[in-house]
Amino acid sequence: MGAIFAAEKIAAGYGDVVIVHDISINADEGEIVAIVGPNGSGKSTLLKSILGFARLFGGRIIYQGKDITGITPDRAVSLGIGYVPQINNVFPNLTISENLDMGAYQIKGKASIKAGMTEIYVMFPELGTRKNALAGNLSGGERQMLAIARAMIAQPKVLLLDEPLASLSPKPANAILSKMQKIKEAGTAIIIVEQNVKKALSISNRGYVLVNGTCAMEGEAASLFAEDFSKERFLGLEARGIDKGLPCVHN
Amino acid sequence: MIVNWPQVLFNSVVTGSLYLIGAVGLTLTYGLSNFPNFAHAEFITLGAFISYGVAHQLELSLLPALIITFLITGAIGFLCYRGIFQPLARGGANMIHLMVASIALGFILRYSIGAAWSWKPLYFSNVWPLSSLWSHHDIGLLSITNLWLWLIFAAVALSVIMHLILVKTKIGKAIRATSSNPELALASGININRVIWLTWFIGAGLAAIAGIFRGADTQIWPMTGWDIILPVFAVAILGGIGNYYGSIAAAYIIGLAENIGVIALLAVGLSTEYRVGIAFLILIVTLIAKPQGLAMLFRKA
Ligand SMILES: Nc1ncnc2c1ncn2[C@@H]1O[C@H](COP(=O)(O)OP(=O)(O)OP(=O)(O)O)[C@@H](O)[C@H]1O
Ligand SMILES: [Mg+2]
Repeated sequence: MGAIFAAEKIAAGYGDVVIVHDISINADEGEIVAIVGPNGSGKSTLLKSILGFARLFGGRIIYQGKDITGITPDRAVSLGIGYVPQINNVFPNLTISENLDMGAYQIKGKASIKAGMTEIYVMFPELGTRKNALAGNLSGGERQMLAIARAMIAQPKVLLLDEPLASLSPKPANAILSKMQKIKEAGTAIIIVEQNVKKALSISNRGYVLVNGTCAMEGEAASLFAEDFSKERFLGLEARGIDKGLPCVHN
Repeated sequence: MIVNWPQVLFNSVVTGSLYLIGAVGLTLTYGLSNFPNFAHAEFITLGAFISYGVAHQLELSLLPALIITFLITGAIGFLCYRGIFQPLARGGANMIHLMVASIALGFILRYSIGAAWSWKPLYFSNVWPLSSLWSHHDIGLLSITNLWLWLIFAAVALSVIMHLILVKTKIGKAIRATSSNPELALASGININRVIWLTWFIGAGLAAIAGIFRGADTQIWPMTGWDIILPVFAVAILGGIGNYYGSIAAAYIIGLAENIGVIALLAVGLSTEYRVGIAFLILIVTLIAKPQGLAMLFRKA
């Protein structure tokens, strides 16, 4: 099946340390795919290795049928891969509109940038009312909105989100989730890393569970949802000792 | 002792203007490349020598000499980064390694300049013998020269132009963005190498302009940049590394402190040679009390 994005048998880490082993994930157009797992399980490392922010030791990255392994981040953006990091995901010394300008950096032509800007302010009206506010002065929820908007203005076909709900109270968290639904309905594939397993799976089609740098489980969001994700069970999950979940497959 | 305060204030503006032009490049490259480039002093010196050379050879006046010197020294700054610091940083050099390399580069440049040109001071008055740059006018209590007016004008023009570049242009916003978060800049599709290269070009070019004014106001010799590098660093640090607006405020604060300090030195009967000590004092106090400098006041940079 022609997934728009696939990372195959990824081994990644930092320096000489391999943190993520043999993980394969993929996403179809208009699909939300969740990557969940405990702290330090390698979720961020997996996303970073796709863009080249972490070291890729092995594996391939396929986008729209083409092998793009080892691509530089700015090339990835121009191809249509958007990335929102877990921390420091806005430029605090730039205003909202300047942050969006940076997201639109590769768009050619003033008119298209302006059109993109207008579209973003329709999608994120809460940003449109405070265009000249410094990003560093925004609330946590507004900041996450801006971080996603900065990536969205480049009109990515695949959006990689690293913990967009982290430390948000339920109301802004739900607002982010509904934005993600809209983005998905517009055809963008979303790969979301989250600690908030329930919320992430509630809007996802499929999910992967990472433990200790390997994929412990994967499957339909609904079936993963049925798993017992109590903290003890979650943290105690052994890479291979799973009874209920589906084992991870490589395609 | 009778102090001519208007003159002290005016001199402070002149001194601050020189330090500002000298420090902008340092603070921007420091903010982007994360190390203090000590060879910035030699960019200043090169500016003085190159402008002297082109003015002499091509019989240019101040403004065209300034433009050509900006371009040549800018290109040298770019080459230094591209040829030395970037490969070192790619190879894993940390801030200390890069700083030591910049000190070494500074030494090499300084002594090469001395060997290639001369250690004997040169004077712009030799190339521009008929110029009115140095003649004094008296306005009320003030005694001023055209050179000083040009220097103040250059600093004001620089402040306005840099401000417009940083807030109005795409590349200027990218400089601020890259300085604050290079990884996110990359993830936004910004080619951060080009941003860094351009900043080294502009930074070295501006240093050269400071060198022209310093050289025209005093003398041109291989230590021209080294003579003022301490207050230039003090401006960058008091202003907050990478913070352009902070450096404007810091330049004039240090200019004022230095000129008032000179009065104080005279009053207690000490040599005005100690004036560099004032910038040093500000540098040390800033590093101890508020290492981030004035940055908190100027979040936008
Ligand atoms: N830049 C880095 N250099 C070296 N090791 C790192 C780096 N970043 C993360 N690590 C290590 O890699 C491991 C996995 O980290 P990673 O950030 O990928 O986990 P995560 O699943 O995203 O965790 P969290 O839910 O806390 O964000 C951790 O042991 C961490 O200490
Ligand atoms: Mg993480």
